[in-house]
Amino acid sequence: MILRPSADSHRVIGKYTGKILVGLGLLMLVPLICSLVYQEWSVALDFTISFSLCMVVGFGAQAFFRTERDLTWSEGLVVAAGSWIWAVLLAAIPYYLSGHMGSYLDACFDAMSGFTTTGLFVLQDLDHLSNGMNVWRHVLTYTGGQGIVVIALTFLFKGTAGAYKMYVGEGKDERLLPNVVQTARAIWLVSIVYLVIGTAALFVVNLWLGMSPARGFILAAQQFMGAWSTGGFAPMSYNGMYYHSLAAELIIIAIAIAGSFNFALHWAVWTGKRKEIFKNIETITFSISLICLTSVAMWGLIKMGVYEDSLSLARKAFYIIASGHSGTGLTVIYNRSFVTMWGPIAMIATIIVMIIGGSACSTAGGLKVFRVGIFVKSILADVKRSMLPESAVLKVKYHHVKDSYLTDKLSKSVAMIITLFLITYLSSGFLGVLYGYDFTQALFEGVSALSTCGLSCGVTTPAMPDGMKVAYILYMWLGRLEFLSIFAVGGYLYSVLRGR
Amino acid sequence: MVYKRKRHKSYRRRTFEIGIVLLVIVSVVLALAFVKRPINRTEDWINPNIISSIDLVERPFEYDGRELEFIGEAVGERMVRSSLSGGGAWIHLNDDPYMYTNVGSGGPLSGYNSGSAVWVKDVGLTDAIKNYGGYQVRGDAIKVVGVYNMACAQHGGDTDIHAQSLEVIAAGGMSKVPVDTWKLLVAPLLLVIAGVMYLINRRRIRDEIKGLFKRRSARDA
Repeated sequence: MILRPSADSHRVIGKYTGKILVGLGLLMLVPLICSLVYQEWSVALDFTISFSLCMVVGFGAQAFFRTERDLTWSEGLVVAAGSWIWAVLLAAIPYYLSGHMGSYLDACFDAMSGFTTTGLFVLQDLDHLSNGMNVWRHVLTYTGGQGIVVIALTFLFKGTAGAYKMYVGEGKDERLLPNVVQTARAIWLVSIVYLVIGTAALFVVNLWLGMSPARGFILAAQQFMGAWSTGGFAPMSYNGMYYHSLAAELIIIAIAIAGSFNFALHWAVWTGKRKEIFKNIETITFSISLICLTSVAMWGLIKMGVYEDSLSLARKAFYIIASGHSGTGLTVIYNRSFVTMWGPIAMIATIIVMIIGGSACSTAGGLKVFRVGIFVKSILADVKRSMLPESAVLKVKYHHVKDSYLTDKLSKSVAMIITLFLITYLSSGFLGVLYGYDFTQALFEGVSALSTCGLSCGVTTPAMPDGMKVAYILYMWLGRLEFLSIFAVGGYLYSVLRGR
Repeated sequence: MVYKRKRHKSYRRRTFEIGIVLLVIVSVVLALAFVKRPINRTEDWINPNIISSIDLVERPFEYDGRELEFIGEAVGERMVRSSLSGGGAWIHLNDDPYMYTNVGSGGPLSGYNSGSAVWVKDVGLTDAIKNYGGYQVRGDAIKVVGVYNMACAQHGGDTDIHAQSLEVIAAGGMSKVPVDTWKLLVAPLLLVIAGVMYLINRRRIRDEIKGLFKRRSARDA
């Protein structure tokens, strides 16, 4: 028998959602201050309106839904998943007010893309966008990469048992420190230290490339946020092609790969366990797949006869494959060039790396290299088991922060998640075909959305059918939070309607 | 029997009421979502280029190595390179409908930006460019003549045009973004309402801020 949620359950969900929306409003102060500094008065008004709306809704929810009760597991998951939808609806407001969006749906598309660190966008006339709006786009990916719940835990929660449930609901389960609020703050500490170092490095490069100090600094901060969050937003429409610099490309890709690594790995390295980089199953799997698929992409490009010299070939192939694998989505070729220049082999290599994705508990999406590593180990273990005597006991070890043994339960859960993802990936391809797109291109784009990668072969445009925009918004949400939270929201709504 | 019928009736009515509320919410959201701004006038737009940037991207093998003329709005900035990094200067020229009127200045929405990267060996040629397009700035319209490279070996495989000549054909300038009057009225009003909501919650917020700074040693449940 399904029990209908009690009134107190609705109150606790409403209260914590309100807290998260207040956090979102406070984030809007960053672009608001930026637009005041640059004297972009119309933009400043847009963010004043949006900030005020967040405060009204957030404080209003907390005032209306009064309760002292803590969250249960399912309520935590519902808050984590549901608050993303509310956050997208509110974060879309400055986009819509800017005048660069064709509709409020387009604004929601870009807001969801930002929060989920995807990087697909339908914003028009990016090269004439204000500094305030551009900062907002990048702040969205930077904070979305950490997680909206993580932000709220860092600044707005005293620390409750329910906080951990929301943290897990956002697709993370690594405990860096004993307390989840401390863990959230540790994640922020790692991100902010890298922000300072990465922005400084890119600022120096930008000056060397010939930019003015003011422009070089703001672009450096945005480049870092786009790369570290594995978001893929770029301040200019030329994306990574704008800089024409090997140094800039190497630094950005290094930041992107670092951003795609597990925060627990970063914390382990920071606390002296440097060998973790070489022992961790995620870094090993990532390295092997990156090398193999870069080679495949290079082979495809050689067949197409695109690049005359091997340095250009290696540079372009490595950048795109690393960008896709880390789930970043920054690019050094035009979107349509995947189809008109790169050809099917390199495109398929890119699709595969997007599917594999980055590490768990990172800013990246996809299946996650942890699951792929476990899946491969499980298959190898089964093959080995079939060759051993029946009475033999086979124990398979793997290292992920600590040594663990592969269990049937873990193998089964990994296989289930991989199957769910693969079915959803295929459905995204078929959706594009229904709308008249070529299957490879539709699959490329659908995988990019579901893996929250953001590489595009030209399917995503402002003129894309509205049905596909809605579907991609849901794919991005699903890809970022993974299935557990979405099922919790679905279950909650079902129990409201059908519970006794 | 009567009790079972009454319970079933109230259950159906509750489901119906919740369904109506959800339907209204979804309808409002969909109506807001699909209301569109007036769509672009791309059919009025005549690209100044015989071979546009879109042609270059769609048929790169056909145009690779060919000399061509390219006209576009200079956007972003000029990036002068030292001799160590190949010398010359990079500019970016957009040949999209925004080159004369961008969105902020009231131009219609016309899709993505589109253009080409241009490398100019003689840096002095780029001194003629006074305005680079951005927010509230319309960039100079520039004509270059040069060789198109699908994957330039000199520049790491980048797609670019190596310009041999450069000419400013129309000066750009400031294009102020007007402030909508309704925003001047709505923004302070909403700010006041937000302030009132904060005051209603202030005691609780004060307690929570105090709680944020408390030493935390407990593990999560």
